[in-house]
Amino acid sequence: MSDNGNKITRHGLSVILVHWVTALSTFVLIFSGFGQMPLYKRYMLDQIPGLSWLSDFSVTLVIHYWAAALLMAVVTYHLVFHVLRREFDMLPRKGDLRESGHIIMATFGFGEEPENDKYLAEQRLAYAFIGLSLVLVIVTGILKVLKNLPYINYSEGFSLWITLLHNIGTFLVIIGIVVHLGAFIFKANWPLLPGIFTGKTDREYVKRRHGIWYRRIAGTK
Amino acid sequence: MSDFSRREFLKRSVASGVAGGLVLTGLNRSAEASGVDVLGTVIDLTRCDGCRDLQTPACVTSCRDKNESRFPEPIKDIENYWPQKKKEDWSKKREITDRLTPYNWTFVQEVRVEHAGKDHTLYIQRRCMHCDNPPCADLCPFSVLHKMPEGPVVIDQDLCFGGAKCRTVCPWSVPARQAGVGIYLNIAPTFAGGGVMYKCDLCYDRVKAGGIPACVEACPRNAISFGGKEEMRTLAHGRAEEIGGYLYGERENGGTSTFYVSPVPFEKIHAALLKQKAKQAKPGLPGFPGMPVGVENMTETANGIAWSMAIAPVAGIAAAVGAAYKTMKGGGDDVG
Repeated sequence: MSDNGNKITRHGLSVILVHWVTALSTFVLIFSGFGQMPLYKRYMLDQIPGLSWLSDFSVTLVIHYWAAALLMAVVTYHLVFHVLRREFDMLPRKGDLRESGHIIMATFGFGEEPENDKYLAEQRLAYAFIGLSLVLVIVTGILKVLKNLPYINYSEGFSLWITLLHNIGTFLVIIGIVVHLGAFIFKANWPLLPGIFTGKTDREYVKRRHGIWYRRIAGTK
Repeated sequence: MSDFSRREFLKRSVASGVAGGLVLTGLNRSAEASGVDVLGTVIDLTRCDGCRDLQTPACVTSCRDKNESRFPEPIKDIENYWPQKKKEDWSKKREITDRLTPYNWTFVQEVRVEHAGKDHTLYIQRRCMHCDNPPCADLCPFSVLHKMPEGPVVIDQDLCFGGAKCRTVCPWSVPARQAGVGIYLNIAPTFAGGGVMYKCDLCYDRVKAGGIPACVEACPRNAISFGGKEEMRTLAHGRAEEIGGYLYGERENGGTSTFYVSPVPFEKIHAALLKQKAKQAKPGLPGFPGMPVGVENMTETANGIAWSMAIAPVAGIAAAVGAAYKTMKGGGDDVG
């Protein structure tokens, strides 16, 4: 594992790119997805100079499709890349729910924070939550794309369900993003921030908070 | 990573290919062949005289009588569509029969058109065209519009939120909105939703039970034919050939199950209708559709890129295999 003086490499370029391409495509999907409802016209956002296209469904739908293609590409890349490399650090483990409770309590000054691996238990849970929500949105989204084709017509019940699940999935993704970003309200999590931009994390921080991971990478040197 | 072999890599590639490919599983589900006869209509403009001897054309009266029990009964104090200072309330104008409203799902347009040195007065019954691939049903954000196996496009009035997107994406702006009624009242009526959308459903309850639509039954001049869609297409072509006339509805919006036959080109009819609309008190109001010839289906551009989207996961897998192989062989950064 990479080690540069007082910094430790936490993420490779691949992970950083996947994170930001996912963030970008998801943001565009949410934005253009809201455009699929007659929301921007009602709230007159389309009257802002340069934004008249917001209420043009033919434009926002095509943007939604291209952003969906980007998200599908990056999600499959992510899954295949880490399965091939057998990297499963972010998958939830037994007891993560309880451990997350301890971490959150410790943030508020109650009790000691447990020793952490590369990712905190709450990060592993958040990953699974956002990941599964994205899979739900992608699968139902593909079914919706197929539905729009001229020769494919679903039953009334099936259409209703996939649309409902697509909308619920979107809502879950938004909750996931809010919680993900909300974690950075707490100062304890700030040292994690540079990692997702530069890949590097402060060595002292890792030693103090991610003891399990630190010992593992120190042992492999 | 030094003992990492090509064979091991290929083994993992297959396993992960399955994992990544999960995104694509179960997705090629096409709608099952329903085995139901698809229905259609022919509206023969050489036959319709707009029931000149009646105050209201028979097709319009019969439609209103048949559907009266489904007309909206809105609440008394209807809110505006905040932050806009307007709402669509037709409840005090229920008597209107010369355009599409939530209380009038079909009407007859009268146009005078000159063609080949001859003046024609045409009467055109208008209502939902029941498109083959209706953008209204495809793009409804809550999927409460459905293309039924028999062909009619039907709105679920119990679940409609009244956002009116269906009207925006319809080339003829057919669905009409009534505020102050529907499910949106139970959620956040000030901020979201606008009522319920209403339009012709080709008397779906009747046709499903083997009957015929009320307007077809009521027409005193047999100007509207109803039957199997392909039979209707043949009939429309035959009639157009017979009179040396023109067809509308066969290719518009990607195809519909309503075929108009006219002795004059529809380009001229469309132009005359637009001129008429421009002279109305509120020309911007929907409910008085033109007849744009060859109008494109709004989903066409998106559908054009739908299949190329399938390349995305394949590209993702290929890039991952390449990147993983490179890093595992020892080249480049291998921090996951």
